[in-house]
Amino acid sequence: MTVVLRVENLNKAFGGIVVADNVNIEISKGEILGLIGPNGAGKTSLFNLISGVLKPDSGHIHLNGRRIDGLPLYRRARIGIARTWQNMLLFTTMTVMENLLIAPRSYPGESIFKLTLARESVRQAEVEARKRAMQILDRVGLAGTADAMVTDLPFGHQKLIGLSRALMNDGDLLLLDEPMAGVEGAAYETMQRVVRQEAEAGRAVCVVEHNVSFIKDLCTRAVFMSNGRILQAGTVDELLASKVLTDLYFGV
Amino acid sequence: MEYILTIMVLIAIFVILASSYNLVIGYGGLATVAHPIFYALGAYTSALLGIHFGLPAVVCVLAGAIVAIVASVLLALSALRVAGDYLLIASLGFQLGLLQVIKNFEFTGGPGGISAIPNTITGPWRTPVYLLICGSIAALTVWLIARIVHGPYGRAITAMRDEELAFSALGRNAMTIKVVVFAIGCGIAGIAGGLYAFYFQYVSPEQFEVLHSAAMLTMVVLGGMGTTMGPVVGAVMLIAIPQAITFLNLPPAVMAPMQGIIFTTLVMLFLFLRPAGLVGGLSKDRMAGRTATEKSSAGAAE
Repeated sequence: MTVVLRVENLNKAFGGIVVADNVNIEISKGEILGLIGPNGAGKTSLFNLISGVLKPDSGHIHLNGRRIDGLPLYRRARIGIARTWQNMLLFTTMTVMENLLIAPRSYPGESIFKLTLARESVRQAEVEARKRAMQILDRVGLAGTADAMVTDLPFGHQKLIGLSRALMNDGDLLLLDEPMAGVEGAAYETMQRVVRQEAEAGRAVCVVEHNVSFIKDLCTRAVFMSNGRILQAGTVDELLASKVLTDLYFGV
Repeated sequence: MEYILTIMVLIAIFVILASSYNLVIGYGGLATVAHPIFYALGAYTSALLGIHFGLPAVVCVLAGAIVAIVASVLLALSALRVAGDYLLIASLGFQLGLLQVIKNFEFTGGPGGISAIPNTITGPWRTPVYLLICGSIAALTVWLIARIVHGPYGRAITAMRDEELAFSALGRNAMTIKVVVFAIGCGIAGIAGGLYAFYFQYVSPEQFEVLHSAAMLTMVVLGGMGTTMGPVVGAVMLIAIPQAITFLNLPPAVMAPMQGIIFTTLVMLFLFLRPAGLVGGLSKDRMAGRTATEKSSAGAAE
């Protein structure tokens, strides 16, 4: 199996608070890795380190064999890291469609030079992005909301828009930060189906999630984090069977 | 008549200033108070080039714009690298510091400013021709900014202002967009400065004091921040109304504080009655649209 993401000996601390303590992770093409652990374990921080929001104190991050730990946030997205956020961070004064149109890996419309000198390529990119956005919205069952203000949608739909926006980036790695928090019913089913389809299509997916049944249904492998350290890695069943971990997690 | 035309030239120049300030602060969300100094850079550069080198006015004005752009890029690169909010402090320092420099150098005329800027257009048609030029450039500015803030680039600016972290994590280069928006806005202010210098043939430091950014901001806010036509309406109102009352022939003791009173009254009225600005409530601008839907949905919920 091709390894998409390789994290080696990653360390990060804010003063005395250690958010990554010698973290090692590998995710392969088509795999969905679950990342579980109590609040404050460093799961979101690990996402921030991988996607480039935070710079590691030491250690390396490789994407498709290329070292990326020196690259700024926006460059990592361009070479193929798509991510969602725990609190979605949607563009609240924009429509659903506009939220998606801004998100492809390449967006020539952000360059004044291309806008003035290569208008045809900008127009072309717009047409393609619109097409891709409609396909994605269709997949999550929200094609009808394309022109609605994103804040007018119910919470579960906003979560799906957060996922859809990330999917506009067709890169190899997809990081999902608590996709199921506050999501239920039909949106839950959709979320599960789409994430599975993305892995089947060849993406490497990593999911931070407190919803154990979601992890159980989707992930073959999971890692358990606490205090910035990976305590155990293995199949989901193995992790759930470990008494030490469940005690830590559920705080019994 | 001459007087009214001169006021109209001034209005055109302030439409350019308020529109470009709106691009930076209203659309770009870049908090700066240095707009008057870029206006000054354009004015002084044009004036000096015109006097000492006798260059054609068009060349002088463009050179003024280029100086303003270069200065704004330097300021933005250094300030924005630290953090977004830092720009406000850095711009204040830049505005105050550079104006002091202008006041103290010999070649800028010191506190007295520069007079005897060459007259480029002579004859009875001077003022109408200037009005035509300034008016056209004002219209061009409004058009250009409308082009920038709509379409793919405007979408990027809006998204950046809404949620910069998510915007960057999608692969968009927020730093470049900020610097470009800032440079375009300040470059346009530089052009306004050049027009001012050649029309009035006189520039002095007090025309570019930091307080003028408050006047420009008032125009933007009253007209409607983040709308294309807002700054136009704001500039017309805030220059025309204080001038109009001079026709009332009030005694000077009443006249003098009148401008300040009108200014303040307008700001207070708008804050309470029309916080989105005069144009803000009318246009189909999204922010305004949002407020409307929020209100109606809140009303429905009650």
